[in-house]
Amino acid sequence: MKAKIQVVLCKCCTEVPALLDIEKLRKLASESNNVLSVRTADAMCDGKELAAVVDEAKAKEIDRAVVLACHKKDISPGLLKAYKRARVNEFLVDVVNIREEVVLTHVNEPERAQAKAEAKLKAALARSVLLSPLEKQTEEMKTKNVVIVGAGVSGQAAAHEAAKAGAHTVLLEKTGKSLKVPGVILTHAQLLGASGYGGNFQLRIKAGEKIEELGAAAVVIATGGGWTTLKAPLAKAVKDALPLYKFYEQMQTGVAPRGPVVIVDTPDPSGKTMKVQDYAWDDSLETAIDLKKKSPDIQVYVVFQEMRASGLSELAYKQAADMGVKFVRYDKSGMPKVDPKNPTVLSVRDFAQGEILNLKFGTLVFASIPPNQDNKVIADALRIPMSVDGGIRRGSIQRWPVSTPKPGIFVCGSALFPKSRAVAKEEGAAAGAMAGEFVRRGVIDYGGVVAQVTQEKCSACLTCIRTCPYEAPFIGTASKAEIKIQACQGCGMCVGICPSKAIELHNHTDDQIMEESRVLLGGDF
Amino acid sequence: MIVAKRKPLGEIVEMTAPYKKVTVIGCRSCVAICLAGGEKEVKMLVSALKVRNKKEGRKQDLEGLVVERQCEKEWVKEVEDKILGSDLVLSMACSLGAQTIGDMYPERLCFPALNTGMFGVPEEQGVWSEKCVGCGNCVIHTTGGICPIARCAKSMLNGPCGGSANRKCEVNLEVDCAWAAIYDRLKLQNRLDLIEKVTPAKDWSTSHSGGRRVYVREDAKLTPHQKKGKEAVQ
Amino acid sequence: MAERKPKIVGFCCERHGMDAAVLSARSGKQTDASVRLVQVPCTGRVDGIHLLKAFEDGADAVFVLGCLEKNCYYDTGSIEGRKRVNYVKQMLTEVGIENERLEMFNAASTNAWAYPEIVSKMVQVAKKLGPIGGGEKQ
Repeated sequence: MKAKIQVVLCKCCTEVPALLDIEKLRKLASESNNVLSVRTADAMCDGKELAAVVDEAKAKEIDRAVVLACHKKDISPGLLKAYKRARVNEFLVDVVNIREEVVLTHVNEPERAQAKAEAKLKAALARSVLLSPLEKQTEEMKTKNVVIVGAGVSGQAAAHEAAKAGAHTVLLEKTGKSLKVPGVILTHAQLLGASGYGGNFQLRIKAGEKIEELGAAAVVIATGGGWTTLKAPLAKAVKDALPLYKFYEQMQTGVAPRGPVVIVDTPDPSGKTMKVQDYAWDDSLETAIDLKKKSPDIQVYVVFQEMRASGLSELAYKQAADMGVKFVRYDKSGMPKVDPKNPTVLSVRDFAQGEILNLKFGTLVFASIPPNQDNKVIADALRIPMSVDGGIRRGSIQRWPVSTPKPGIFVCGSALFPKSRAVAKEEGAAAGAMAGEFVRRGVIDYGGVVAQVTQEKCSACLTCIRTCPYEAPFIGTASKAEIKIQACQGCGMCVGICPSKAIELHNHTDDQIMEESRVLLGGDF
Repeated sequence: MIVAKRKPLGEIVEMTAPYKKVTVIGCRSCVAICLAGGEKEVKMLVSALKVRNKKEGRKQDLEGLVVERQCEKEWVKEVEDKILGSDLVLSMACSLGAQTIGDMYPERLCFPALNTGMFGVPEEQGVWSEKCVGCGNCVIHTTGGICPIARCAKSMLNGPCGGSANRKCEVNLEVDCAWAAIYDRLKLQNRLDLIEKVTPAKDWSTSHSGGRRVYVREDAKLTPHQKKGKEAVQ
Repeated sequence: MAERKPKIVGFCCERHGMDAAVLSARSGKQTDASVRLVQVPCTGRVDGIHLLKAFEDGADAVFVLGCLEKNCYYDTGSIEGRKRVNYVKQMLTEVGIENERLEMFNAASTNAWAYPEIVSKMVQVAKKLGPIGGGEKQ
């Protein structure tokens, strides 16, 4: 089937014509093989001109398009929708970046810019004829379950939001604490393993003594911080020291703590096993103020290296000081120490005075939270990456702040990295909303730009299976590799590494990539 | 499986320089799996040589292809045209493949692009370690499943030697003493009595030191009648 | 007769790599026109054969631009990309070609300075070393 290409030249308002000769480009396009229609537009992003472009596409029975415009991500959505009306397969519409790659950046070299734009057009046409139409498929999500691992501050917030979106929430809580959250609550429960892919996971969980299989459309990891695993020097010396959150919880039950209360920023002031955590300030101030309100006679010391309350928490600092909370700042030359033989006194050099203070305490509280030991277990069970600090890794700091790289698995709160209760709650709500939205779709969209194995070429070396972060490749019944398309994210890592060149990535094949490169290098600029 | 490694490209460049038309032939079996001579490595080698020729301004006709298993005559026969049409075949299979081509086309030149190294296992992706040297008389059932011939530097049958220290081999401190590992394994299996048994000196005639080995299965051999018409297996 | 300008190919991932290039353009930064960008879904898709073929087809220098390794959209994609680049660099050295002609870079989509620095570095290499097989150095 011969390719029938439509070329669209967007002027990006006045930007492109200011540097390039559009007429030359138009002529080059119309004289090229396989090009049946050439249109110019003032601003494709505007949308108003799409109708005329698409009408001509329909009339000339175009099957693919090359659009010279700006950044693909900015105009694709509208463009693909419009071309759909002309029955042009969405994977046969290529956007060539003339604006950012040529016009904006080579302002002082109009001749080279022209030659470059022409080469880019030729390369795009050469690539276009090699492309194939691709179809996406859908698979029903078998359940509406959002399984939330951990019913702490962020887990509960996630449950509320996910339930709002119509998901069936199932919370797996390690302890036996009682909870009031929407959905099914399994106490003394943990996640043992998982298989499948986003939308249709099969989870193996342990609830009490029973081991069960549970289907899930999405998973939210809200395992929180490692409250029980403070190991560093100060924690070792004072066996009954408490993490801040635990202390706060106990305060809420109405039990007055044994005074004086000393809140230290970290059990490891030297920073060898744990970094000082920035957030610890806000929660410490809140706790100190609350404590003073409840028990005004208790002496409260806050011992910190850096005193940085964020935003309006500054006001809390003043309020705490007014209420009689004593702030002791130290630096590495006078770090807090406790003699294990006498674990009732904290000695620290007050930076301001320069003197060593010996603070007698009844309760020692640590404001920082180490990472949760369970994170490794969960990461292994779900096969997702961990961060360098022992938390669960995000998909992308900018785009996916509460998602893991695996679609359908979300993460929030201190499981990511230690943070204050308030922020953990917000993150939980965000993760729950993401999971809820994901599940509400009801179907998994898959296919399109995915990998495919040509089994006759496969050497069953297992390299692709070992490399893929999404567990898409597997050894099938023919003892050769196959791709589970629902799990494939279209990155092409397996394709680039296959020693027998048995895998190809649709519409990003070796031939297509190398042909584009070759034609671009042929341009004289 | 057989594990091989590509020769340094400098050596390959020198080896192939005098020939006008060079065909690189790889294999989809062992050398693909150990990432030395599959289709990808073949294509990369051809491309690298072409870039080198570009630098030197040399004209040379270079082509690359792969066969399923280069040590099997039938598969080599499939690319006979390519072999006969070139001045030099550069085999990117293990030496078995390179020799098969050489034996089938004795008047043609076929050079090895790889150094065939060992029988190895992938300890992890990208790391292959030698576990067998093909001595022809396997004793691992007496050593807890660990081969003393391959993994002990002295191939001792009644180790460890006096040089073993801190579970490391005196020949190379980074290598674990195989006999320490054998001891641990037999202990785990409650078979430490085997360590005390003295194994007599090895009969090396079954190994390569006894000369080239040939294994025959009489029941698998084809009669002259069966061989008729099947050129490649003559 | 016009003197030959450097020819550079950059394999850019569709995520942070391309975004970094676009951001620098939208920030008004000018770059040398010698660079031809080829977009790939992820630098993990880049194969050694693409890099070597680019040199075959006339590139003086080639680079691969992907996400920061700790923030790759596809988790380990740019780590894979770097491995491929390193392997081909080794091959170039073994065939007597300067391996600075090939380089791997990582950038965040929010970094407007990364791309112009990369272009400038590679243009410098291309000009210093000239085309493979002679021709005019600049």
